Amino acid sequence: MSGVSEVLSMYRVPREVSITECHEENIETEQGSFTLKYPVLSPEIVVDAARKAQNARDVYLAHLPLMEVVEKIDRAIQKWLDPDYPLRRWAEALLPILTGYHSDIIRLELKRYMRNFRKKELLRFLDEEFDHPGMLDGFRPRKSGGMSRAYGPHMIFHVFSGNVPGVQVWSLIMGLLVKSAALGKTSLAEPLMPVLFSMSLAEIDERLAESIVILPWKGGEVELEAKAMEACEALIVYGSDETVEAYRHRVPIEKRFLSYGHKISLAMVGKEALTADRYEDTLHRLAADIAIYDQQSCLAPQMVYVESGGVITPKDFSQLLACELERYEKKWPRSALSHEEAMAIHKMRNQAVFAAINGADVNVYMSEMNTAWTVIFHRKADFSGSPLNRTIHVFAVDDLETAAETLTRFRRYLQSCGLAVGPERLFSLSERLGTCGLNRICAIGEMNRAKPGWHHDGRFNLLDLVRFVDIERTAEMLAEQYDPDVE
Amino acid sequence: MDLKGNVVLVTGASRGIGAAIARAFAAEGACVIINYLKNEARARDVVEEIREHGGEAILYQADVRDEAQVGQMVQSAIDQYGQIDCLVNNALSHYTFNPKTRKTAWGISWEDYQSQLDGSLRGSYIATQAVLPFMKEKGRGRIINMVTNLIDLPIVPYHDYTTAKAALWGFTKNLARDLGHFGITVNAVAPGLTYPTDSSRETQEDVREMIVKLTPLKRLAQPDDIAGVVLFLASDWGRFVTGQCIRVDGGLV
Repeated sequence: MSGVSEVLSMYRVPREVSITECHEENIETEQGSFTLKYPVLSPEIVVDAARKAQNARDVYLAHLPLMEVVEKIDRAIQKWLDPDYPLRRWAEALLPILTGYHSDIIRLELKRYMRNFRKKELLRFLDEEFDHPGMLDGFRPRKSGGMSRAYGPHMIFHVFSGNVPGVQVWSLIMGLLVKSAALGKTSLAEPLMPVLFSMSLAEIDERLAESIVILPWKGGEVELEAKAMEACEALIVYGSDETVEAYRHRVPIEKRFLSYGHKISLAMVGKEALTADRYEDTLHRLAADIAIYDQQSCLAPQMVYVESGGVITPKDFSQLLACELERYEKKWPRSALSHEEAMAIHKMRNQAVFAAINGADVNVYMSEMNTAWTVIFHRKADFSGSPLNRTIHVFAVDDLETAAETLTRFRRYLQSCGLAVGPERLFSLSERLGTCGLNRICAIGEMNRAKPGWHHDGRFNLLDLVRFVDIERTAEMLAEQYDPDVE
Repeated sequence: MDLKGNVVLVTGASRGIGAAIARAFAAEGACVIINYLKNEARARDVVEEIREHGGEAILYQADVRDEAQVGQMVQSAIDQYGQIDCLVNNALSHYTFNPKTRKTAWGISWEDYQSQLDGSLRGSYIATQAVLPFMKEKGRGRIINMVTNLIDLPIVPYHDYTTAKAALWGFTKNLARDLGHFGITVNAVAPGLTYPTDSSRETQEDVREMIVKLTPLKRLAQPDDIAGVVLFLASDWGRFVTGQCIRVDGGLV
């Protein structure tokens, strides 16, 4: 351990907001010791911080030209793409300890994630959803006549989840692009990245960062949450169905409410991906989707449908996947589990073993002495969620097209499908999957990495946040008549 | 070396190197299936000797060139122990190692080659195929194929025997490539002339002396020397070794 000793506030408030009381946590890392300061919050602090952030936004961010906002975010991101950037080094030291994920996974995935927000990608986000991104600066002509302008909310209350490090940055950046102030409630599981990212923004433009409030508290602090809801114009809630419902019931009807709740993703492997020259790569990719962030992201697969007819059977596939997960465990051990999480895995294993004893067509492959990984092979296609943490169901199917049709029953929960099929089937199968309710088809091996401009849960990133104001053609025409110089 | 609870099938284990390997496994706590073809009395001696020392062994007669017989042997081991952790392919078609009476390149027939290929290569293939489903299911396993250092240095050119063993070494490397994904290692052990065994009895003193002279460790191999390397490959210490051939010949080749 080096002699570095840093004190780091796990919150961010505008300069004139004073937080007097904190409790501290000391953490030893490879880079030295950190004292993390968590604020003791009151409803008054939430109100005060939100008001000042919104004022800062009203007088500054709201009037910044969009391209300047893009440039400033890009400059902050560029800092994060430098391996020696001090805040990146802090994140790489602290996140493995705060989240339990292996430091190599954090190091690799964090930088990959940050690359999603370079200037060129931000332009992609904007162009994807706006005919004229300039609408966020002022009225712009419409193809159908008239002019329109888009306004983001004065303030967005982001309720972040803590399952995947850094994922909150996406939401913060989307808010900045529509020129909204942010009040981010972080999860105690990962309160770090929103704070560090807003610090980076402050290094680029302190006035811009004044529009951002980041506060950690444990979900269910009703008074704090009520004040936050009052202060905002829009809410974005990430988390379990319970979390989403808890907010949905309380949010006043006039507020915009967006939620990203419980979702299930899956993978499909066609026989053409199981030829003698391809199967190794196919397995390696799928194992990565399972191992990276231990399936905590809703993007990660919970089950895989494997087609018969390749050189390896679906059962071979299960055995090989088990071996590959064992190798991942040696390379990047899974994070430590809570008692409840471990029990969920034991329960599922026991049920499967019991079913196998009673004659069900099921084989269970699992790590010995611990819950590090579990593969449950089913000879009969079905649908079954996983308790996560590197636990997966493998279903043998004669053909993927038929399996896809059975998914319709679960459309409420379906999100991503990692697909490994040949080009002649890609579109026909995607059509079926789309019909069943899935909204993202990606390569296996890339499931955890949604791309800029994707339709999150089938919706928009920016358009859902803004309201449009139209100047109709008639108003334009009539105005012309009142021109003192009119013919 | 802790091999307690491991289940090991040694083919051709009634005598010589095979018997030494079986005894060594048993001494380290493994349950050993002693396979033999004809010599029941000698095989029974090996089993009894193991049991006298508190080890566990069972006897199974099967011709490794016969799929049905090998299938039954493996199934019977699974029924008894539930698993097979290690397969040692040691059996070969009967062969007499006699430098004086060996067949020459111009006197040997294809049938001679075929006979050795059937025992060394096909026998190993059949036994491997029989244990594979169980090793795949466990996600681990060890397959050890007995070859010879004559592949590197045919100091006495036993054409049919050495060619078949060279084929087994090729089989080993290829198998290692595919089975590694399943957590199964496949290696070969290449003994030098090992004495005393039934096979080497007819190798005359002058040849033995010549080999000793050329050998850095200045003696011939003994069956226990070979067994030690086999045990290493089967043990947890050998877990990251696959597709290798370890020469056990005192440094001759």
